[in-house]
Parts: sequence; structure tokens; C-alpha cells
Amino acid sequence: MKVSFPYMGNVHHYYKLMKLLGHEVIMPPRPSQRTVDLGVKYAPEFACFPMKVMLGTYLEVIEMGAEVIVSSGGKGPCRAGYYGETQRAILKSLGHDAQLIIVDGPYIGIRKLLKIISIIKGKNSWRRLFQIGTIIYQQMKYMDELEKQIQIMKAHEVRRGDCQRAWNKIVEIFDKEDTKEGLDKAYKLSKELLSSIPLHPVEDHQRIKVGIVGEIYVVMEPSVNLNLEDFLGSRGVETERSHYISEWVEANLIPKSYRKDDFHERIQQKGERFIEIPIGGHAKETMGHIVDYKERGFDGVIHLMPFGCLPELVSQSIMPSVMKDLDMPVLTLAIDEQTAEANVYTRVEAFIDLIKAKKFEHNIKKEEVAFV
Amino acid sequence: MRVGIPRALLYWYYIPLWETFFKELGVEVITTPPTTKGIINKGIKHSVPEICLPIKIYMGHVFELLDRGADCLFIPRMVSIKKMTTFCPKFLGMPDMVRFAVEDRNCRILSPHIKAPTENIARLSNFIEIGEFFNKDKKTTARALKRAEKVWLKYRSLNMQGYTCAEALDYINGKAPLPVKEKKDVTIGLMGYVYNIYDSFISMDVLTKLKNLDVNVLTFEMIKPKTLNAPIKKLNKALFWDFSNKIFAAGMHFLDNPNIDGIIHVTAFNCGPDSFLGKLMEIKSEACKKPFMTIRVDEHTGESHMNTRLEAFIDMLRRRDFVKTGEVTS
Ligand code: SF4
Ligand code: SF4
Repeated sequence: MKVSFPYMGNVHHYYKLMKLLGHEVIMPPRPSQRTVDLGVKYAPEFACFPMKVMLGTYLEVIEMGAEVIVSSGGKGPCRAGYYGETQRAILKSLGHDAQLIIVDGPYIGIRKLLKIISIIKGKNSWRRLFQIGTIIYQQMKYMDELEKQIQIMKAHEVRRGDCQRAWNKIVEIFDKEDTKEGLDKAYKLSKELLSSIPLHPVEDHQRIKVGIVGEIYVVMEPSVNLNLEDFLGSRGVETERSHYISEWVEANLIPKSYRKDDFHERIQQKGERFIEIPIGGHAKETMGHIVDYKERGFDGVIHLMPFGCLPELVSQSIMPSVMKDLDMPVLTLAIDEQTAEANVYTRVEAFIDLIKAKKFEHNIKKEEVAFV
Repeated sequence: MRVGIPRALLYWYYIPLWETFFKELGVEVITTPPTTKGIINKGIKHSVPEICLPIKIYMGHVFELLDRGADCLFIPRMVSIKKMTTFCPKFLGMPDMVRFAVEDRNCRILSPHIKAPTENIARLSNFIEIGEFFNKDKKTTARALKRAEKVWLKYRSLNMQGYTCAEALDYINGKAPLPVKEKKDVTIGLMGYVYNIYDSFISMDVLTKLKNLDVNVLTFEMIKPKTLNAPIKKLNKALFWDFSNKIFAAGMHFLDNPNIDGIIHVTAFNCGPDSFLGKLMEIKSEACKKPFMTIRVDEHTGESHMNTRLEAFIDMLRRRDFVKTGEVTS
């Protein structure tokens, strides 16, 4: 059974998961213009952009021979939980028999859920399944931590591209390891690799920090967000984003009592001032993260959303008040198949200038105060 | 104190309940007139460009109310009216959007969370805070709510007897008697949210237009909840948004119902839920060979476009019918 999955963020985790479960895996290609074109052609015109790109990926992996595609579901309130149903109907109407399996929570009924799990689980014992799950989760945590570090380092690297090259290497290192001990080793090696990268020295008050918030797919997938983190890094801006896969897993798959930290609830609470209840997608979290970044001294926020994204349109609607209230510059960028790279970069460039000017002015004021 | 209720979104579904409730509490209510170009422009001014037209229209009505002297706005937060389902994210976030949009205007906002196991939202837990806001004791609030519920139930039962929301409202408000229903040769299943179908601007009075084309029309609110529930139960997974489910269910019901000759879906540009259910309807209607047409409206859609498409569709249905019954006379 040839298995594949959608492309979002660090796909090596899903690859390894499927491989360890004993499936023959087809690695989806990184979303390209062709992926987008395919998705746009067959998806409803007003479907959300992530749904279109994913559909494009499915069509590509089907071409490559995938028989089963595994993706995640959801119970609303936004559309993501319904991607699968719609995509399945579309694939069928196009005459494909590839099976689209949506991993959902118990709310779809225990019977259905068990059936889905048993397909994915294959012949593995429950114990082995749990073991594999733990290994993947560990890898996610390690790699996310490394990535966070890289997002900061990128802003200060002496030789442009060093960090990216290191990251590619790190991916290779992790790819080889399938055990807990192996991962520990890979993590250590990666750490050493990172510490060997020469960086420009920078003083704390000179660092420019930007948080990236918004809809999970466009925040996590560089190929659809025009490599935004990279671009910001090249302009000397450190970044952090509101979504990391290990955090998503923690919030969605790990029972509350096992969680180390109630990070997600904290973020939700911080967002409450602006959006009272969860309204779907991550709009409330978007608000929470902006508050959090403010508290942590970030200089600006870039708010990414797919064009027409329902909950993030609500965020966008109240953003002027949020900016005023928090005294935090926010740049909202809506992304879809028509987004022009040059246009986005110009706007981001202008935004960087703005936050730099704001920070500089602020620093001067502080110095003046210190002087008096 | 004057409470303003915008004539938009779920106004059409719940206004008899809301209005009666406030009046029974002894509170003055003002509503807005049907959507005008001026109201739309206010909405556009206070909304982000990409948001769907119904939300812009809602915003427009909100500002219209303020301009007309409302000092309190009733913006309920519709959370859920059925187990496991909720509302389009824009409904869920509506009170937040309004709250910040009117920040610099001096007005109060009443946003009770509306939660109920069925579409009958007349539960004390939903409305008690409004009673408290107007310093009414629990008993008074409960009594007002009971009366409001009665009017609303009557309203819904008129719907289910085949009267449109507009007809039922006019009757309840004593403005017009119930129209006489005649049997026509063509019956259309009309899919669309109440705030699209009954907004004179969005749908450009599609119901009147269809009436003038001499066809019968069935809408989702005329179908009994039980019947409406059946096709949803058959789905592998239901949609998450209540009224989207209702419309989708109505669509599937129309597909199965031999008395329905064709289906028309009126939807707003950029409507998220409709983009999915519309596509599914397209696929399903093709499979069972029932004519299905989508009319997508935004603030720039011209009325002539709507007219042409409706006429062509009905013409097509009539020709097909005649072929079917062998009555073609050329
Ligand atoms: S959050 Fe946005 S992108 Fe995600 S399903 Fe909802 S509308 Fe689509
Ligand atoms: S259901 Fe569609 S039309 Fe209604 S508010 Fe949501 S996006 Fe807008």
C-alpha cells in the first residue's frame, strides 16, 4: 500500500512516521506553481488557499502512485475539518480511486475512528504504535527547538545561507535515526553544527524581533508564504512563529493531564480581550500571540492569512484596534494563488523600516532619559 | 434607552422573537429599513474589503442604527443551536468586530451568548442577562420570553406551511393577509441563507422575480426540521455550521424530491461554507441529473444579470418538461 500525505512544514516527521509503521511512503513534492495550478483548477473557486494547495498535492502524489493519502480532520468551527470530505468527492468525480483517510478525533464515533486507526496502524501492535508515536513526537520537539534557534541566527549569520545549509544537514542527520538514543545523538550533533556557524555580534537592544502569526498552513509552509522567515532573516530580523508542529501535537493529541505546561490556554486567555470565544482556525490564538509578543518585547508582528480566510478576516477586522491598544505594529498579508512576490516583499521591506525607525526612536528617547 | 436590531443576518429568522421580547420588557426597539445603497456604503467603509457581502451589510445596518439614534445595539453571539454544530466563524466573531468598529461611538452592546439544543433559542439562560441589564426580575424576563417564543413558533409554523419569511412576517405584523398559494407547472428549490434570500439588495428580490416567472418556490425554512435532518444524518460527516447544514440538507432534499424541477443556489462572493457545499451540490446534482444553478452576488452584481439567468433557467426547465410530457408545440 503506497501511502502519502499533504505537504505542510517539516514533512520529514510524517515521512518517518509512515515509514516506521511499515508503509511504502511516497514523499509529496514541495508545493510548486504546478501544485497550485492543479489545486486551483479542481477546487471550488472560493475554497481556502490551503485546501487548494493540498488538493494539488494529492493530485501530484496520485500521479506518483499513491493509493492512500492520510490527512488530519477537525470538527470545526472552520472549514479545515471539512477539506477531506470535499476533496474526496472531488477526487472521486475526477475518476481517481486513491483513498483519502482523514484522521479525526473521537467525535466522529469510536467505530469509525478505530477503523481509520487500524488502517494506519497496519500490523503493528498497539505498544509499537505508541512507541513510534513517542519517537516522532520527540523528533518534532528536537527539530522545532533547533528551528527556533535557526530563526534567530539567520538574522546574524556572517555568510548568507550558512543557516539554511546547516538546516538541510540537520534534516539529513535526523533522517537516519529511528530510535530514542539515535535522536538524542542527532540533536547533539545538530547543536554542535549550529554553534560552529559564525555570527555577527549583536547587542540585545539592537535585535529586531518579529512574530509571525495567523492561519497555520500559511504560517508553517515556506513554499506558500514566499519564504518569509528567510526573507526577514536576510534583512537582519529575527523571527518566531505562532505555530510549531510539536506544539500543535501537544495541543491536539496529548491529553491535558499529560501536558507539561498550559501554554495554549495561556495564549487563548491572552487573546480573550479581543476575541472572546474560539471562532475557528486560530484567530483567538492569533490575538493571544500578538499580546504575548508584545509582552516579550517583540518589535512587530506579521499576520499571515489565506485570502478570504473566515476567522482571520475577523482578526483582520479588529487589527486596527489591536495595534492601537497594544502599540504594536502589525502587517497583515493575505496570500493566495495571485499573490505577487515582489509586492509582498516591498510591503515587508517597508514594514521593517517602520519598526526599525520606531525602535531607534524609542532607544534614543531612553538614552536621553538616562542622560538626564 | 433605544435598542437597535440590524435588519441583516439572522434578523429574518429570529426577529419575531427578539422584537417581541424587548417590547414585552417595555424596551423601545428600532430596526433599520431594508438595505439601501447608502447602508451598503456604510458597511463597506467599516469592513475589510475581502469579507463577504452579508457581513458588510450587517456592519452597514449597525452604523445606520447608530445614525438613527440607537444607544444600545443587540448583537447576539450565535454559538450553537444544535449539538455538535456551530456557526460560521464570522458569526462567532461578530460581536468582537462590532465592538471594535463602534469603539468611538457612545453605545452599549448587548451580546448574550446564544446556545440551545434546537433552533428554538428562547431559553432563559440566553436572555437573562438582557433582563438584568434592564433591571427586570427573573419572572418578568421569563414571561416576556415566553410570549416572544409563542410569536416565533407561530412564525416558524407559517414557514412550514409554505409561506416565505417575508410573507409570514407581514402577516404576523398585521401588514398583509397570507397570500393564496396556487399550483404552478414548475417548482424551484431555492437554496440560500435567509440573509441572502430576503435581503432586497443581495438577492434583488429573487422571490418576487420567481413569482413573476410563474413558478412555485420551496426554501429551506419551509421544510420541517426532521425532514431537513435526514439527509445530514446520511453524510459521512456533517458540516459544522448550522445554517449551512440546513441549506445543504435542503439541497439534498431537493435532489431527491421528484416534485422539484430545478435548484437555484443564491450565494455571496467569498462565502466560505458555501464554496464547499456548493461544490458538493454540483457533483451530486450532476450525478442525479437535476438542473442546478448557482447565482453568486457581490456589491457589483447587476440586476439584469440576475434576471437573464433566472429567465433562462426557468425556460430551460419548461422546455424540458414539455419534452418529457410530449407537449412540445414548438
Ligand atoms: S482557518 Fe481559514 S484557511 Fe483554515 S479552514 Fe478556515 S477559512 Fe480555511
Ligand atoms: S456563511 Fe457565508 S455568507 Fe454567511 S457570514 Fe459566513 S461567509 Fe458570510
